[in-house]
Amino acid sequence: MNKLKITAFFLFGCLLINCKHKEGEYHDVIEKIEAESKKYHDILMSSEAYIGDIETIEITEGDHTFLIPERKGQIKSYACIECHSKPLSDMQDDTPTRKAHWDIKVNHADENAMNCVTCHNGNDMNHLKSLTGREIDFNLSYKLCSQCHTSQFQDWKGGAHGKNIGGWAKPRAAMTCVNCHNPHQPQIESRWPVQFNSQKARERE
Amino acid sequence: MGEKKKWYKLDFGSKTKESAASSCGCGKTSGGCGSHQGPPPQKDEYTITADEFDKAVEGTMVGETRKDGFQQVFDVKMDRRTAFRKLTASLLIGAGAVQTSCSVVAGEETKEKAQIDWEEQFKGNYKLMTQEERNATVDRLVRSYQLRKKENIKMSSTDASKDVLFGYAFNISKCQGYMDCVSACVEENNQDRNSEMQYIRIHEMKDGNGFKFDEADDNYYHEVPAEGHFYMGTQCFHCDDPPCVDVCPVQATWREEDGLVVVDYDWCIGCRYCMAACPYDGRRFNWSKPEVPEEQVNKNQHYLGNRMRKKGVMEKCTFCIQRSRSGKDPACVEACPTGARIFGNLLDPDSTIRWVLENKKVFRLKEDLGTDPKFWYFMD
Repeated sequence: MNKLKITAFFLFGCLLINCKHKEGEYHDVIEKIEAESKKYHDILMSSEAYIGDIETIEITEGDHTFLIPERKGQIKSYACIECHSKPLSDMQDDTPTRKAHWDIKVNHADENAMNCVTCHNGNDMNHLKSLTGREIDFNLSYKLCSQCHTSQFQDWKGGAHGKNIGGWAKPRAAMTCVNCHNPHQPQIESRWPVQFNSQKARERE
Repeated sequence: MGEKKKWYKLDFGSKTKESAASSCGCGKTSGGCGSHQGPPPQKDEYTITADEFDKAVEGTMVGETRKDGFQQVFDVKMDRRTAFRKLTASLLIGAGAVQTSCSVVAGEETKEKAQIDWEEQFKGNYKLMTQEERNATVDRLVRSYQLRKKENIKMSSTDASKDVLFGYAFNISKCQGYMDCVSACVEENNQDRNSEMQYIRIHEMKDGNGFKFDEADDNYYHEVPAEGHFYMGTQCFHCDDPPCVDVCPVQATWREEDGLVVVDYDWCIGCRYCMAACPYDGRRFNWSKPEVPEEQVNKNQHYLGNRMRKKGVMEKCTFCIQRSRSGKDPACVEACPTGARIFGNLLDPDSTIRWVLENKKVFRLKEDLGTDPKFWYFMD
């Protein structure tokens, strides 16, 4: 009888030990992430080198601080006032010559909601303007987009929307809205896939 | 032979000419061998040319029992046939190597190649190697490539960092099916161009039908995104409890500390148990000798990653271990023009991958299997 008791006790003990995951400590990866990130120390690795030649600026939005590419240096004809030295009405003429910005067509929301002056200020061409008429720097154009696209803005800040630059380690760098979307025609065009696996096609014939 | 090694080291005289005579590969203590100074060597009874030797080595390398260290070979129970096969394979290499090393005709380079092949033949499992042994095998592989292809590669054996656990998230609403990731992956990881091996598959699925892999198309070629379809990618999910690792009879595949599931291509025997065990079709097998045009070879390599494989071994996505272990995004993440791919450190509470896991509605494929993949899907 005593022997039986001991055996039962032993078996129970074995069960207790084996209940946990093979590697010992955690039942699943979620539990492991939660537990191990409590004692997380910043790692020494840096992704800075992988940002490459991209000129960046640091922004802080809410709880998130990260780098985005600098914009003004990428706009060929910036500063705008180098041409826009006179008020717009003086610069417009009806002669059928090739006009500046001939290639820009606005296909963004509809005409009731948006036209040029929704974002540009005819009296201050060097800056963008918010819906309430406040000045927005060209480098921080995401502030303009986020006025309407609030959920995308939330996702972008957190890292669920948009493209990371370089590496996963710190410092975090991400593309800003206009690096992927043309602000005048933000819809991304459909295209063909870059590759086709002819071997796979042959095997499946 | 002062240092302790897990394999028997044969000295062909190309490296340690001044060492004791007893360590000579030919086994003689004086004369008769190219590595001894002294009387002229005996006439070889048969001479093996460098080409023939290479062929012999090549031939035995394909044999499925070649990658055992001495210990494992002799401690294992085996039938006569296997024993003979093993013996013949090793003898052929040994004989060839000794022959080459003792030949006065063979050049220094051939001798060095033979030395490298010998040591590679009897190296241990990567998991069990000390750091010096790892460095040594990496050096040998780099040198071997240099001797054979006249090109320099850069190979690392960087270990997992502390406080890193790699994870991946895939945005199903963002993927447009361009397949830039697939191409970038092939270029980065030196996959066989002949069989068009690809680690990533992008499945085109009908809206409203859910995940139906049997009805999905992973080799479409038309303008994308196609109307009424969505796209989702699969690859190795680097499970935290990987079934492929459990079934490997020789422990040639394992889970690293940072969560990457890797393969030691020199230990793999090509049984493909792991391929059968993987519920996600994450593993690929080299049915033929993988070939990559020399100018397309990615020379930035890792021992457990994109170094050149051989015929008859398994390979798979390693989250681009040669990139990720040094802080860079995997090639697929970098190539994706839509930002649908998110990669990062799961243990860092400030990482973007953690933000996605905590703020988006994420799920994993076949979660009920309990394999704990570290690859999450989500939607906007």
